[in-house]
Amino acid sequence: MLANSYYLIAHDDRTGRSRLHPRAAGLGLASALLGELMLYGRLRAMTGDLYVVSQEPPGDSLAHTVLDLLIAQPQHREIRTWLAYLAADATDQVGERLLRAGVVEPVTRRKLLSASQTLYLPQTAEQRNTAAWESIRLSEALAHRRSMGLHDRSLIALVVATGLTRHVFAGVQEQRECMRQLPAIMASLPDDLVQLVQYTEAAVGSALAVGRR
Amino acid sequence: MARFAPSGPDIVTRGLASNRLGVPSIVFFGVAGAAPLTVILGAISTIYAVVGNIAVPLVYFVAALILSLFTVGFVAMSRHIVNSGAFYSYISHGLGRVTGVAAAFIALPAYAAMQIGLFGLLGVVAKGVLEASGIHTSWFVCSLVGWFLIAVLGVLWVDLSGKVLAVLLTAEITIVLIYDAIMVAHPAGGRVSTEALDPAQLLTPEVAAMLVLAIAGFVGFEATVVLSEEAKDPKRTIARATHWAVLLPGLLCGVSAWAMSVNTGSGNIVQAAKDQETDLVFALVSPYVPEALINVGYVLFLTSVFAAALAFHAAVARYQFALGRERVLPRLWGVAHPRTGAPLLGSITQSLLALGVLIVFQVTGIDPLIHLFAWGTVVGGLGVLMLMWGASAAVIAFFLRHRRRENFWRAQLAPLLAFLLLSAVLAATVIGLGDLLQVNNDSVFNWVFSAAYVVFAIVGIVWALVMRAARPDAYAGIGRGAEQRVIPEGAGLPVSHALPRTADVVRHS
Repeated sequence: MLANSYYLIAHDDRTGRSRLHPRAAGLGLASALLGELMLYGRLRAMTGDLYVVSQEPPGDSLAHTVLDLLIAQPQHREIRTWLAYLAADATDQVGERLLRAGVVEPVTRRKLLSASQTLYLPQTAEQRNTAAWESIRLSEALAHRRSMGLHDRSLIALVVATGLTRHVFAGVQEQRECMRQLPAIMASLPDDLVQLVQYTEAAVGSALAVGRR
Repeated sequence: MARFAPSGPDIVTRGLASNRLGVPSIVFFGVAGAAPLTVILGAISTIYAVVGNIAVPLVYFVAALILSLFTVGFVAMSRHIVNSGAFYSYISHGLGRVTGVAAAFIALPAYAAMQIGLFGLLGVVAKGVLEASGIHTSWFVCSLVGWFLIAVLGVLWVDLSGKVLAVLLTAEITIVLIYDAIMVAHPAGGRVSTEALDPAQLLTPEVAAMLVLAIAGFVGFEATVVLSEEAKDPKRTIARATHWAVLLPGLLCGVSAWAMSVNTGSGNIVQAAKDQETDLVFALVSPYVPEALINVGYVLFLTSVFAAALAFHAAVARYQFALGRERVLPRLWGVAHPRTGAPLLGSITQSLLALGVLIVFQVTGIDPLIHLFAWGTVVGGLGVLMLMWGASAAVIAFFLRHRRRENFWRAQLAPLLAFLLLSAVLAATVIGLGDLLQVNNDSVFNWVFSAAYVVFAIVGIVWALVMRAARPDAYAGIGRGAEQRVIPEGAGLPVSHALPRTADVVRHS
């Protein structure tokens, strides 16, 4: 699932901290959740707006929840709005889903002068392998120019749009290779996902430009 | 209201609003850059000393009124454009992209000059504080330490948190009010004089030119509209907060400047300011208050200047970041650190520039207070005034094309009045710049700064034309933020100029 993969890439597997600005990570996850619905064929994007094209419940409960919200709130259409809204608790939602899938464990950190915080991070060797595999899979596929599924191509587009490139592709050579293949990857994505990625990139940029935490 | 929840805002609207800002937070955001204590203790006494005119308090009140008038149209326009960032985006929406880039090229040196000027004040103030505790050092060393701290904090993007700023600001305002009360309670000759407030003074060209100095003290108030997408109610919250962010410092500075002249007597204030420089207020109140209150004042003064320099540094870096993101500057400037969001290259550029200027001032032995702080403020203020003037024209042009459901006062009358007043102030400033800088009539500095801005503007125009020819897609995005590049232009879409599609639902970021 797109958001699961994105979560594992966007968070450090040892500390559980976000590798991005917290708001950027939230937006990336929100975008991944909407992307999942597009991959499921439930949602389409047109000129910056989202349209539910099939109300049939998807198999996953979180995706179902998001779809229900989209159906219940038809007065909100803009991708910007939904990215901002879902970003608020996307980290916890996806973290919980990873927990249910057994990929992470909850760890509660107490912080000085603020409420305790629950992080979701891989604990066992097996869980760590699963988490690390997400990045390795992408970087290997690009390095060997293997053909990728729609899921991984969308994931790469999101990774680049939110600024995670250097965490997935460690070497400069690999990053350059990624940038070289990116236009072809973007061109191969359905128009809905391309729009979603572009809006995500813009939203991340705006969040950083305001500079408020 | 939304169709499905007649009883109030729906779950999405509420969810988005929960993280939103109210009027006080936004006022703090706007005023923090202006740092009232920096203006009152630093700028006002320097203006008295350098310009030698007693109309300072009046000038602050008038500047606040002009800017408040300007705010009316400015905020109204901010509701109708997506990238409600900086002045240049307003200008590019109202007067076209070519003018917009010219404005951006004026903004960069203007804000940079103001920020670097603050290092001069920081050095002098820190030196004074250290001397009081028995450590003798030069202003350059103090400035350099401040420069280093700000350079590091800028790259790490450690903003002073809102709470720290709020506490500092409250403390600053409190101590200013105490000092003011003491100064007014001990008037020279036992009589409270209102001579400094005589409006007739406004008719002299020198006083009109001084308005630019006052306006420089308000820089940052326009930052409030940046938060329009984060405000509880973009319509009312931002308008109120912006008016507060203008009137609050205006009143505080005006009253303080007046209180100083009451205490010394309006005939003596200029000489007193020349003797005491930035210690003026402390020297005036020290006979009447316990020493602890003076020491607190000095410390707050220092933190205030530091906070202002840091806020300006962030503003300059963010400006370059925004321009890099729109590809007006090379793309590298539009790269932010992924985790912290620090606009790295913008931050480093400004730090290096400041270091260069500081070293030049040290090597040539030029006075840091007058020629770095005062000149930096005047020159930067001139640039910001040009931007405001351009923005006020842009507001008129913008609403001339379409009224967009704004009323006559907001869309036409107030912007027109603001434009006329700002034109007068700008003309007076360009003519009277030599007086403000206290240079001889045949000095090159009478005109070189105005000319430099014109050159920058021309470079901007040429650059915009080059962009239009070479990179039309980037050109189309100027002043629109990154978001606008996404939306295909035309196709009957309510792109940037439309009311939100669901007119009664709050617009979201």
